[in-house]
Parts: sequence; C-alpha cells; structure tokens
Amino acid sequence: MEKLDIPQGTLDLMILTILAREPMHGYGISQRLTVLSHDQFHVNPGSLFPSLYRLEQDGKLKAEWRPTENNRRAKYYRLTTAGRRQLEQHRERWNRVSFAVTSVLEGA
Amino acid sequence: MTLFHRLASILRWIIRRDDADRDLHDEMQSFVEMAAADKVRDGASAGDARRMAVLDLGGVEQTKERVRAGRYGAWVDDVGRDMRYAFRTFVRNPGFSAVVVTTLAMGIGANTAVFSIVNAVLLKPLPYQDPDRIVMLSTSVAAREAGPIRGQITDGDFQDWRNQATSFEAIAYFWARADAVMVGEQAEYTRAGRVSGDFFRVFGVQPIAGRLFGAEEIRPGPANTAIVSETFGQSHFGGSREAIGRTIRVRNRPFSIIGVVPTGFSFPEGTEIWIPIPLPDAANPVSRGGNNFRAVARLKGGLRLEQGQSEMATIAGRLEQQYPDTNMGRHVVVMRLRDQIVGNVRLMLYVLLAAVVLILLLACTNVATLLLARATARAQEMSVRAALGASRGRLARQMLVEGLVLGLAAGAAGLGLAFGGMKTLVAFIPGSVPRLDEVAIDQRVLLFTLLVSMISSVLLALAPAFQASRVELESGLRQAGTRSVAVGGTRRLREGLVVLQLAIAVVLLIAGGLLMRSFVTLQKVPLGFQPERVLVANATVATADPRQGATLFFRDLLAAMSKVPGVVAAGATMAAPGRVDATGAYWIDHVPQPSEMSTGPSNVSSIVAPGTFAALGIPLVRGRDFDNRDVRDAPMTAIVNETLARQALPGQDVVGHTIVCAFDTLEPMTIVAVVGDVRQAGPADESRPECYMPYLQHFYNGATLSIVIRTANDPMLLAETVRRNAQELAPGVPVRFTTLDTLTAQNMAQPRFRALLIGEFAAVALVLALIGVFGVMAYVVSQRTAEIGLRIALGANPGQILSLLLGRGVGLIGVGLAVGLLGAVLTTRYLATLLFEIKPTDPVTYVAVAAVLATTSLIASYVPARRAMKVDPMSALRAE
Repeated sequence: MEKLDIPQGTLDLMILTILAREPMHGYGISQRLTVLSHDQFHVNPGSLFPSLYRLEQDGKLKAEWRPTENNRRAKYYRLTTAGRRQLEQHRERWNRVSFAVTSVLEGA
Repeated sequence: MTLFHRLASILRWIIRRDDADRDLHDEMQSFVEMAAADKVRDGASAGDARRMAVLDLGGVEQTKERVRAGRYGAWVDDVGRDMRYAFRTFVRNPGFSAVVVTTLAMGIGANTAVFSIVNAVLLKPLPYQDPDRIVMLSTSVAAREAGPIRGQITDGDFQDWRNQATSFEAIAYFWARADAVMVGEQAEYTRAGRVSGDFFRVFGVQPIAGRLFGAEEIRPGPANTAIVSETFGQSHFGGSREAIGRTIRVRNRPFSIIGVVPTGFSFPEGTEIWIPIPLPDAANPVSRGGNNFRAVARLKGGLRLEQGQSEMATIAGRLEQQYPDTNMGRHVVVMRLRDQIVGNVRLMLYVLLAAVVLILLLACTNVATLLLARATARAQEMSVRAALGASRGRLARQMLVEGLVLGLAAGAAGLGLAFGGMKTLVAFIPGSVPRLDEVAIDQRVLLFTLLVSMISSVLLALAPAFQASRVELESGLRQAGTRSVAVGGTRRLREGLVVLQLAIAVVLLIAGGLLMRSFVTLQKVPLGFQPERVLVANATVATADPRQGATLFFRDLLAAMSKVPGVVAAGATMAAPGRVDATGAYWIDHVPQPSEMSTGPSNVSSIVAPGTFAALGIPLVRGRDFDNRDVRDAPMTAIVNETLARQALPGQDVVGHTIVCAFDTLEPMTIVAVVGDVRQAGPADESRPECYMPYLQHFYNGATLSIVIRTANDPMLLAETVRRNAQELAPGVPVRFTTLDTLTAQNMAQPRFRALLIGEFAAVALVLALIGVFGVMAYVVSQRTAEIGLRIALGANPGQILSLLLGRGVGLIGVGLAVGLLGAVLTTRYLATLLFEIKPTDPVTYVAVAAVLATTSLIASYVPARRAMKVDPMSALRAE
C-alpha cells in the first residue's frame, strides 16, 4: 500500500504528543511516528526538522544535547509547560474536527 | 508569550549565527549516523547504510536550507546578504554608482537644506518659554485703508487694555529703533527697545546677571536704567556680570545697566538694549493720538486664543463708546506671535519646498530609468537566480534592497552637501525672512532626510523590482539579454517615467516663468524717483538740546556737502523712499476739531530739507521747492504730491490752499508746490497721498534724518567725506551709509529670490526631462535596430524611418505636455498672492513654456533618431 501523506496541520500535534511521553531526538521522533502509525506515516525530515525548530522558537519545546544509549551525542527535544498547553489545545481541536467530519460522513 | 520567545530566538540567531549553524550541522550529522547505524543493524554495508541514511534525510544541505528558511528572522539573513551583494555590485561599477548617488544626493541635499529653513522659520516653536501662549495685539481700523504701520497702538489704548483685560498673565507694549549708543567715546548704531514693565514676563525671560525692571524703574519721569543682552555685555564690558552698574549713553542720555538677559533673546528684531517706558503723569499724559507702539501679551493658562480675542473685541467696543473721537472703528486683533512673525513668508517657503520635492521626484525617475536599463542588462542574472530557486518576491526584494542601499548612501551624501552649503544658502535668502539665525540641522531635519532617502529608495526601486518579478525563466536563460524580459513592459514603464518627467518640468517651468514675469514687471514699475548714484547717510544727532542742535547740524552739513565736487544735489529726508515712517490724516482748508480726528483721509507724512526733491529725482510739477524762507517762526508751509492734490481738490490747483496734517501740529500749512508721485512702500503698492514738510519747522522729527546726495560718480566714494564733515560738526555722531539702489533693491528682495530660485529649479528640471526623452528614444532605436535595418533593406527611405520613430516620441511629448499643463493649472493657483499683475493662468507663459518644451524635446528625440537613419541594413540584420 502506498504511503500516506501526513495531513496538513497534524504534524505539530503528533510531535507534541510523542514528546509528551518522553524527551526524544529528531531521528527517534521520526521512527516513533512510523511505528505508532503502523507504518502508514513516514515523515520527511525536510518537514520534521523545520517544525521542530519552529516549535522551539515559539517556546513550546526546549532542546539540549545529550548522549544517547549508544553513547552518541544527539539533540533531545522536550515539552515545556507552554508546549503542554499547546498540546491540549491542538488535541481538543483535532477531536472536534474529526468528530465533525465523521458526523458528516455518517449523516450524508 | 510566544511573541517574546520568537523575538528572543531571532536575537539569539542573529548574534550567535555561527554557533547555530554548527549546531544544525551537528544535528543533521547525528541523524545520519543514527539512521546509518540502524540500517547496518538491519544488514546493510557501512557505505550503503550511510548513503541510504543521507537519502532518508532528503539531502543534508536541502534540509538545512529548509530549516533555515523556516526560522523566524530568516529574512534578516537574506536582507543582509542582499545588502552585501548590492554593495559589491555598486563597487564594481563605480561610474554608474557615482552618477546615481550624485544625482540623488543633490536632490536629497536640496530637500534637506530647504526643509531645515522651513523647520527653523515655520515649524520650530519660538525660543521663548511656552511660546504658543504669547500673542501680539494690534489694531485694525475698519473704514480706512491702513498703512504699513497698521496695527500699531496708542499709549491710551494700552493703559485701558491693561486695566480691563483679564485673559492675560502679562501684557506689555514697546517700540524700538536703531539709536546712537555710546559706550566710551565713539557712538554706534544699536537697536534699543523701549518697553513697559511686564515685557520680559510676557516672554518668560530670566536675567543671567542683575535683575529685571521693578517698581523703582517703572515710574513716571525719564528713565535712566537699562537692560542689555549677553552679547552686548560681552563685547563692550567683557562679560555679563561686568556690565552691571556700568553706564551707557543712548542719544546722549545716560543709562545705568541693571540686568543682562541671555543671548537668545533679542525681541523685537535684533534689539540689544531695553529701556523702560515711563509711566504717564501730569507732564506726560496718556496720549490717544499717536500709534507708535506694538503690544504683546501672554495668555493665561487654559485660555484659548478665541477667548482672548473675544474679550479684546468687547474692550475695543467699550473704548469706541468712551472715546469716539479717537477710537471709532478701531478693532483689536489678537494673533499668535509666531503667526504674526512668519505669516508673510509661509507661502513662499512652502512653494520652495514643493518645488524642491518635485526636483527630487524628477531625479528619482531619472535614476529609476538608469536602474531599469541596468536591470534589462541583468536579465540573465535574474533568470539564473530564478532557476536556482529564488521566488519572484525574493528577486523584487533584492531590487528594493539595492534601492535602499543607494538611497541611504545618497542620503548621507546629501546631508553632507546640505551641511556644507547651508551658510551660503542662508546668506542668499532675503533678510526680511525672519528667524534665519535659528536655521540649523537638528533632529527633525535628520529624520526628514532619513525619511526622504527611504521614500526615494522605494520609489526608484519600484520600476526595476517590478520588472525583476516578471522574469521569464527560459527566454532569459537562452538570450544574452537584448530581446528578453518583456520588452513591451519595460518600454511602457520607461515611457511612463518620461511622461512624468515632462509633466514635472512643465509645472516647474510655468511656475518659474510666472514668477519671473512677475518680477520683471515689478522691476519696470516706475518708482517716481531716480535711485541711481544716490548716497544715503543715516546720522542721529544727540545733543543737549535736541530741538535746536539736531536741525542745525543737518543744515550745516548740507551746506558743506553742496560745495563738495561731484555732488549734484544734496538733501535730507525723514524716511528714504521705499519706507514709510509716518502716516496720519489730512484736511484741506480746514482745521479739524478733536471729534473729527479720526475722520480725515489718510496720507503719508514726511520731513525734507530743501533740495531733497532734486537729490532724489522727484519732479517738481508746480510751485517752488522749500528754501530759506521756510524756517522756524516763519509761516508754515508744505508740499504735497499729485495723488493728494487729485484726491483733495480734483480739477483745481491745490497750490495756495492750506493743509493740516495730523503729524506733530495742527497748525495749517500753506501748500507751496506739487511734486510727482512716489511709490512709498515699494513697486507693488500704488502711490499714496503724501505731505512733505520743511525740516526746520519740525525740529522734533528733524533730529534723525537720512541725508541723500546725488553724485556724479560712485556714491560710496563720497562716504568718507560725509563722515568727516559730520564728525567735524558733531564729534562722535554715528553715521552709516548705503545707496538708494541698495535700499530700493531690498523691497524687491523677496520677489527676486523667488523668481531666481524657482527659475533655477525649472532649468534643472528641463535638463533632467530632456535627458529622459533622449534616453528613451535612444533605447527605442537600439531595440529596433534590426527592424530598421530590415525596412531600409526593403526600400524605406530615411524620412519614413524618421517619422516612424518620431511618431511615438511626439505622442509621448504631447501626453507629457498635456499632463503638465493640467497640473500647472491646478497648482499655480496657490501662487496667486505671490504674483504681481499676472494671473496664474497667464496664457502667454503657458504657450511659451509649451513651445519651449515641445521644441527642445523634439530636438532631444530627433538626435538619436537621426542616428537610426544611418543604420547599415546588412550589419544590423547580421547582429541579430
């Protein structure tokens, strides 16, 4: 089956959700996304990193360099308080949107 | 909160760019390593794993670029890069850059200079405390035309105003003139003001040494104290504190200095010494007759101008009732001091500013055309950039940044030009423009320059930016640039610019033409006297008995002067022609009762010595000049001018009748002659009725006379002789010299200045516009060289080629002319008050300007077109 495109506007939500569980580096986020989506979403690093940087500039994420399990150095991102708030808002909006779409699909 | 984070990270990004870049690089590397490690674990070889990892990343550089582009503040980087690139481009083309920056710098510099004048004269508040509350009170007489000393008030009016008005914190009246002031042996002319008690309070001036006038000084009886300016104290006593207590003599009377005020204060008009006006008493009762004073006041805080005005109107009405003889029809006008001072020149300065802005616009369009030409040549470069991924907005932005770099560089250069030329420009401005000593380049001027530079940058970058954004990828890359990039669009742009240039040139030419014609007409107006080769010497005699001594001094001096070789005629007059010192009312064959005092027709009064009419070149129409019969204690005589004679007794001979002038006596004087009319207040004003009186019969006003000597040669050669003779008669008397030509020219100073300056601007505008026309035609010819070659090869004769090319040019010129003429009609109506006997829509000027512009533009477009006719068809076609 062909790979799906990540729907507009949902990348931020997914990033924030993944990071809500534990801080992670960019590569890890992309792998986790693939796994969690049952191999449906393969995020393009060319989209992932700009989003990460933007979220960091907006103060939703904080980044720092740390050693990985394999003793490499990687830049880990973690959620800030503002980021958690943002996650709540995004999540709530997503629920409303998906509910609305589903209602339309079932009702029409 | 988010905004704060964004700003902070932009700042961090700018400051620590290299670190951030390295960080990004490291992160990409770490991604690649981890991805590669995973693939190796899945079985790939090391080399394959790495390659695939890089592919997964999507290309290290590309991803880095996308991250960089996505950052807030990425544009700062771009702009910085654009600026550096623009710099390098300009440095590589020094000739082109020099032309562009110089043209712009001159335009911006001219604007800065003119604006700094406008700023100092019109915009800056007056240099006093809370200056908007200071007002000037003047009278306007409803029924009669008022003379040049319109607005002056009487002693009596002032006393009543002060007692009755409640709108003012302080009110004062004053008069001032240049007087003989002695510190030590020699006397100099210094401007001395006589002021009432609250004068300095009106302006909020505090002394820097000593004190202001107090109860001791404000009393009846002659004054004997004075306040001087810091400059006066510095130059005569070596300092402000040193001046306190010292004595100066004004008109040979001693005054003791009790205070010094700071240099900035010199109201009115360059006064350096202030003397208190004595309070009225029995010996000096309040006079309601002489309009010799001006009044200023400070409005109470919280009151508006209109409230002050209406209160004064009420008071004036009350005074009309109380003193119908003197105050009938007199209204009081309350005006802000600043409006009073600068009102006259406001229009002229704004016209100047408008003209100089137009010139800048012209300069910008010229530069824009140059940039456009260069942009066409850079079409290939633009195409390459577009191919590499630059968006159209990005290309346009680059053009704008280049424009900005140019504009700011030109702005800095223009500022330097203005700074350097400021003194010359100020010297060139007629002295009658007030506050010129305050002209300087201050914050507001700097801000203005910055604004103008940036607006110019945007304007002149518009055309190339617009063109750059229309880059067409393929054709640009293929062609070397001659026929690429939307030729049609460029041509239309250029033509539009040329039409604009022509229109601006037309407007300026018409404005300049109108002002010049006005000035020439003004100059040709016969003044009624002959100003050539007349020496004018001012001498103020201050002797013990002013009444006796002064007039004898002049009589003896004149007697001595008439014997000097080279003197054609010598005389003396109270006011040289071109100035009016005294106006009043007159009655023929009738002595007015006190109740009639404000009803007689007004006239100008003047005191003259025998021989003055000959010296000034005023023709004697009927009767005899004053002579040694018209002395003190002899029957009073007078001479009138033709206007008065016509007005008083039309159709009859006025000689032999008597006249009473409300000047210094109500005694009837027998009219002994009629002389020709003189335009007393300058060429622009009609001649007024005038009454001349012999100086020996009016000793009070005969103490300050201007000696006028008509000479056979250069009048200034006689100056030393006059001074020597004067000093022999009255040692220490100050004398200053000028010529009648100079005095007369001062009346024309403003119209001359306007005509000259706008005329120069118009000439510059014409040249710039012609360059534009030439440029467009040359461009068109170069574009169509191949086509012309083809046509010639096919048998077209030169005439047909010429008309083909000129056809469009003529069309352009026509449109430009039309727009310009329309613009001129709309805008020159604001010049109406500056013009003398010429309408703003004067058809002669319009037609002349249209003809000049049409001819010169046709020639300017003909020259390049002519070259086209000589095109060799073979080489033209081959070059394609």
